[in-house]
Amino acid sequence: MSSDFDPRLQALFAEARKAFDREAFTRDVMAQIDAGRRRTVVVWAVAATVTVVVLIFLAAPVLTALRLVTELLPVSVVEIQSDWMKQLLAPVNSVAALIAVLALGIRKFYRRIFG
Amino acid sequence: MRYPADFLQKSPESVLVGLARSGDRDAFAEIVSRRQDWIRNLMRRCCGDAVLADDLSQQVFLQAWRSIRQLNDARRFPGWLKRMAINTWLQHKRRNDPLHGASEQDAANPAIEATPGLGLDLDRALGTLPDDVRTCIVLGYHERMTHAEIADATGLPLGTVKSHIRRGTKKLQAELADYIQPEEAGT
Repeated sequence: MSSDFDPRLQALFAEARKAFDREAFTRDVMAQIDAGRRRTVVVWAVAATVTVVVLIFLAAPVLTALRLVTELLPVSVVEIQSDWMKQLLAPVNSVAALIAVLALGIRKFYRRIFG
Repeated sequence: MRYPADFLQKSPESVLVGLARSGDRDAFAEIVSRRQDWIRNLMRRCCGDAVLADDLSQQVFLQAWRSIRQLNDARRFPGWLKRMAINTWLQHKRRNDPLHGASEQDAANPAIEATPGLGLDLDRALGTLPDDVRTCIVLGYHERMTHAEIADATGLPLGTVKSHIRRGTKKLQAELADYIQPEEAGT
């Protein structure tokens, strides 16, 4: 601790610390947490219901979109002439691998900022 | 989850943090119970307003509950929580939170009027300091953080922190002379 800090003031700060009514505060915090949980459940339930309804109405277009995505995922990002090299690099040389790398990058970035 | 009678009360904090990370509400309630005096006192010194301090402390614990899964090492919990409290205070200052008006409730709050003299006088003396100086002083004296740690936590340059601490210390010594003079005479 630097000498800029006055030990007498440090003692005053320590002395001024007080004990609080713990139960009421804890109860308030936990009530807010519970309310937040309930809100989350309601939001997810509404989102799930909307998704199901949308899927029911848009079943055919959604299936078509899913088929297109499925066809797109294994497409090579870089065209390779040699067949055996193409097979060897298939797991990393595809749209799916590109998406996976992007997702991992975003996750790492998020953890660095908020972790 | 159900535990034997005083299991949570007797568990070390790292165990509670581990349980809370897996979504255990009761474990987190025990953490709130253990850590609230520290956070509420810190917030009280930062803002000098009991009602606002408790609101901000609640925000800290709510934020902690929402983010605790991202805490990889349970032993880092105290430092992590302290940083969250400091950030909550700094954010409040920056955006001049709507809770700011809570200070007007002080006069009507009997619990605050009953605050023992030293705490009240200390808050009053801290209230005479500019915001940044006050934050540095509270982190230095209340949290016993070093200049470098304060600079890191507040984002202020190290030189500014040192100058704030010097200025704030002089001002507090003058404002709280009644409390510190007897000891001074003894030394």
